[in-house]
Amino acid sequence: MTPVPVHLIVNGEAVHLTVPPNRVLLDLLREDLLLTGTKEGCGLGKCGACTVLLDGKPVHACLILALQADGCRVDTIEGMADKREGRLHPLQEAFVEKGAIQCGFCTPGMINTAKALLDENPDPDTEDIKQAIAGNLCRCTGYHKIVDAVSSCACRSHNKSNTRKADNHE
Amino acid sequence: MRIPPFEFKAPEHLNQALALLGRAGQGATLLAGGTDLVLGLKKKTLAPDLIISLQNLKGLDDVREENGMICIGAMATHETLAKHPLLRERADILCQAVGLIGSWQIRNAGTIGGNICNASPAGDALPPLLALDARFVVAGPDGEATLPATSFFKGPGETCLGRGRILTQVQIPLPPEHSAGCYMKMRRRKAVDISIAGVAFQAAVDETGQKIACAGIALGGVAPTPVRVGDAEDLVRGCTIDQALGRLGDIAQCCADAARPIDDIRASAHYKRTIVNVFAQRCARHVLTRLKSKRG
Amino acid sequence: MSEFDVVGKSVPQLAAREKATGDTRFVTDLVLPRMLHGRVLRSPHAHARIISIDTRKAAALPGVRAVVTHADTPKIKFGPRSEDWTIFAEDKARFHGDEIAAVAAVDPDTAEQALDLIQVEYEVLDHVVSPLEALEPGAPLVHEESPGNIAAEFNIEAGDIQKGFDRSHVIYADRFYTNQVYQAYMEPMAVLAETDLSGRVTLHTGTQIPNMMRMTYAKALGMAPENLRIVVPEYGGAFGGKMENNIHLVAAVLSQKAGLPVRLVNTRQEDFLAGNPRVPMYFDIKLGATKEGVLTAKDVRVVGGAGARLVYSQVIVSTACYRVDSLYRFKNVRARGITAYTHTVPTACYRGFGNSQSTFVLESAMDELAAALRIDPAELRMKNGVGPGETSVHGWKIGSSGLRECVEKATRAADWTRKKAEKKPFRGIGLACCNHVSGNRPFAREFDGGSAMVRVGRDGRVMVFHGESDMGQGQNTTYAQIAAETLGVPMAQVHVAQVDTDISPFGLGSFATRGTLMGGNGVMAAARKALEQLKEIAGDHLEADPGKIICKKGEFYDPDNPAQRMAFKEVASLATISRHGAPVVGTGFYKPPTQLPDPDTKKGNISPAYPFGCQIAEVEVDPDTGQVTVTRMAAAHDVGRAINPMATEGQIQGGIAQGLGWTLMEDMAYENGRLVNADFVDYIVPSAFDMPGVESILVEPVEPNGPYGAKGIGEPALNPTMAAITNAIYDATGVRITSLPVNPEQLLAKIREKQGSRC
Repeated sequence: MTPVPVHLIVNGEAVHLTVPPNRVLLDLLREDLLLTGTKEGCGLGKCGACTVLLDGKPVHACLILALQADGCRVDTIEGMADKREGRLHPLQEAFVEKGAIQCGFCTPGMINTAKALLDENPDPDTEDIKQAIAGNLCRCTGYHKIVDAVSSCACRSHNKSNTRKADNHE
Repeated sequence: MRIPPFEFKAPEHLNQALALLGRAGQGATLLAGGTDLVLGLKKKTLAPDLIISLQNLKGLDDVREENGMICIGAMATHETLAKHPLLRERADILCQAVGLIGSWQIRNAGTIGGNICNASPAGDALPPLLALDARFVVAGPDGEATLPATSFFKGPGETCLGRGRILTQVQIPLPPEHSAGCYMKMRRRKAVDISIAGVAFQAAVDETGQKIACAGIALGGVAPTPVRVGDAEDLVRGCTIDQALGRLGDIAQCCADAARPIDDIRASAHYKRTIVNVFAQRCARHVLTRLKSKRG
Repeated sequence: MSEFDVVGKSVPQLAAREKATGDTRFVTDLVLPRMLHGRVLRSPHAHARIISIDTRKAAALPGVRAVVTHADTPKIKFGPRSEDWTIFAEDKARFHGDEIAAVAAVDPDTAEQALDLIQVEYEVLDHVVSPLEALEPGAPLVHEESPGNIAAEFNIEAGDIQKGFDRSHVIYADRFYTNQVYQAYMEPMAVLAETDLSGRVTLHTGTQIPNMMRMTYAKALGMAPENLRIVVPEYGGAFGGKMENNIHLVAAVLSQKAGLPVRLVNTRQEDFLAGNPRVPMYFDIKLGATKEGVLTAKDVRVVGGAGARLVYSQVIVSTACYRVDSLYRFKNVRARGITAYTHTVPTACYRGFGNSQSTFVLESAMDELAAALRIDPAELRMKNGVGPGETSVHGWKIGSSGLRECVEKATRAADWTRKKAEKKPFRGIGLACCNHVSGNRPFAREFDGGSAMVRVGRDGRVMVFHGESDMGQGQNTTYAQIAAETLGVPMAQVHVAQVDTDISPFGLGSFATRGTLMGGNGVMAAARKALEQLKEIAGDHLEADPGKIICKKGEFYDPDNPAQRMAFKEVASLATISRHGAPVVGTGFYKPPTQLPDPDTKKGNISPAYPFGCQIAEVEVDPDTGQVTVTRMAAAHDVGRAINPMATEGQIQGGIAQGLGWTLMEDMAYENGRLVNADFVDYIVPSAFDMPGVESILVEPVEPNGPYGAKGIGEPALNPTMAAITNAIYDATGVRITSLPVNPEQLLAKIREKQGSRC
């Protein structure tokens, strides 16, 4: 098996590695880069725990060969918060505050999917959110607080000013 | 769950890909989105010596209208197709179907070409393609060929693509403006599940808006390949919308008769046939009602 | 407004921020230098004699550091309850997934390659999967020592059921089946094992019962318990499923043999094959009532499938026999339970612990009685429900009971009366109640309370040590809230230590919905002990009677002289200085007022508190396909007092999701003794799309035995869901679901049958 070079932009940083072709993106992230925030829940693309953003789109890192991602932007959960400032991304903050996190194993994948949704559609309704996260299984929460958390970000980025205005009128 | 070793090539030109494929023979496999291939590697149902990825081939993922055809590059992802304005407007049935494939993650990686060549009996894109009279453009060492979707599928995972050839494009004759289509699939949960039975119903009315000029009806998940139901189409073609609405029971029965399902862990053959009957009626009613309202 | 500063407030989990940023190190994320990767070779057969195992080729593969089989273990029979386990199969494989051999290699690819090189010769034997068939004469035996495949029997009787049935005006009798389902926690079982130079083994693993597990495993490994240490990092869910399991011992043996750390992570398929799913059960129930709707008698026979070895299934079957008897004012009850060995994966605990199975059955039967008596199902429950201060038929002393309030509030929220009266075709509404425990005296036998240590450092930082287990439900946060409230400090100052059997108290663990009440009372006791010491110091400095001093919001003062105050941190610092560096440590425990049940009558108050609940489901049934959609749920739960209302709601919503999955889609399917859907492709669990709106209602009758009045919620959240949904299906279609999960095809056939008979 001939190792092949692969070039990625992982969380904004250029990464150059040489990997055996049978390496999946998930193992590259978790084992080569020690980015263990991306989880393996089933290994077969059925649970969504390994969701990362490939050129901004959510994909299963367990079902993509590392070489398929050559030349792509890969965003993982580790790239979302501004850790030096101790500041979380608003979605992460919402997941924390709304109780959308129980065991937390699905959380990184779930947040990644939600982020891609909000990037694409800043004001999703409940159905849009459920549609987007349908491939991210959570066994703890029953999804309600997750949907609430994502909704709250939609409002924050989109409807907040309207609501405030309405309040002022009253 | 680990993947055994293999060699990997990602050529930049189609002729290079064809040459690699020709040299490698049986041990080579093409990689499109990977959602089925990588799964197969992990489950050890596939063990190629060489994987030839199509990721670097240019222009294989676009969607455009050309000479009365909708031309879809084989590497276009399900997500691209589900949201594509041209398809939404003229061949929405395909958007509906690919929008129901797997999860958003799968739709972002999986491609129409992959779905076709993987030839799963339950592949959601396939019944609509049959119903839309799609054709597949195939490149080979001896040039290009165009194969009709209707006769492309031979069995689970088997097609008449032929060794050494690459599916490059899907062509769909541009459906007339007054057309409508509907794809429904039976699932055990409300999202992200394999189709237990799928029904695609596509029809168009003539210029008068009265008569059904053409109809395509196809089933998925209920036979070794997707099945086109010519008998049911015959019941619809040439009659008025109201006449067709009066024949829903017969149309559905035709579809159920055309199904050759098997018992499996997901459902019994009998139940699948029942579902085909029910969904055929629902699809037909939905499409015919829409055609009627469009006419108005 | 609550009289408390921290308790009763919705606060995020202590670990939530780390979980949201991916910083949390779960078991599967742990890495040690020179760590090896383990894999297990599992039996492909349900039942087979092992003729030979040849590991030579695997051992010779470059990169392989250890290959182990039964021969490499101490060959001791062990088990948490009944000693029918070995770490690897000895002469026979007894289920599809049974542990045959294992390897440790330098990377996962090599480990998997090595597995393929192990040659095992099997002689395939006849197998039995159904517990009913296992009990039939001539059935293949799972263990030669257990004739008839009877693993355990349980009998209980109180009152006189014959008399009870004699004075019944209506009697309902039927057979029910509840199937084998999988917990599907998102992180598969995993362990990181290391052995030090002295031979001491450390297991880092997600377990609900670190201390009890340690006792069992010490025996299995032939070592003294002190030579085994268990550390519990954050882990991705359990729901009952992460108790004793051979995977931990396999890793221990591999690390002993290799002399290096070994990480062993179940693939998802292995987790299905060799986890410990729910005990499948058959029930024959007979239930009687007078024409006024007063329950007269209940008779039940339960047959449960243990799988190939006993984990806790026999205790689960006994729970299924009688726990529901304390939901209503039963006077005459009888139950016989048989736990049968079968050739399947060993079954064990899953949220509800047998009570969820029997609640489905009883609450279905209650609905049938209500229909026969033409009484509103809600009214029938209200009429018979156990109230506060009552003692149930088995001697359970009900302190608080919000059962009636739960029924009232759920029915109001769901608009029950109106919806029940209006008959829309193929739409239905259904109700079910439940009871549960907050701790289970007979489970651990030696004791059942909780304990903790609370350490206050010189910096005022509070660290709570407990020996229970936060499996993701937020137990640590609850304990921090209780400690903060008791000490009078802000939440931010309180931290909870990872459970480590070298340091933590000997907690029994997280099961029986006992964490909040038992562990919480332990934390409260320990915090009080720490507080007493701090008050002494504060008293000296404030020149006040330490007995009068209180601490609120991080300040000590005498309420009679509130102007003079000392900061908590200052007191903590002075305390440490005065003790030459020793921190303030409070150690406390809670001894609940419970009784071991009488061995003959099984009478005795097994728990200090009993939570109750009522759930209402609304469904739509597709009359052409038999597909069921749950459109809405209302769930009212008596939780004593919710220490953290947001987390409590989360438990309710999550419990309903699991109950919905069980009712409508989840089933471990066997063909020819093999589990054929050991993945998330064909074992489907609810997605976000399957969840209806859930209105969660917290009913809070302060529980006298609870910390700040709290009881548990984990298991009751799921117990009534199945029957609420199937009762709604009955309301929509007239079809009684007697077998889980609901099969749309069969439901459709029964709907057609009913329609046919009506014509």
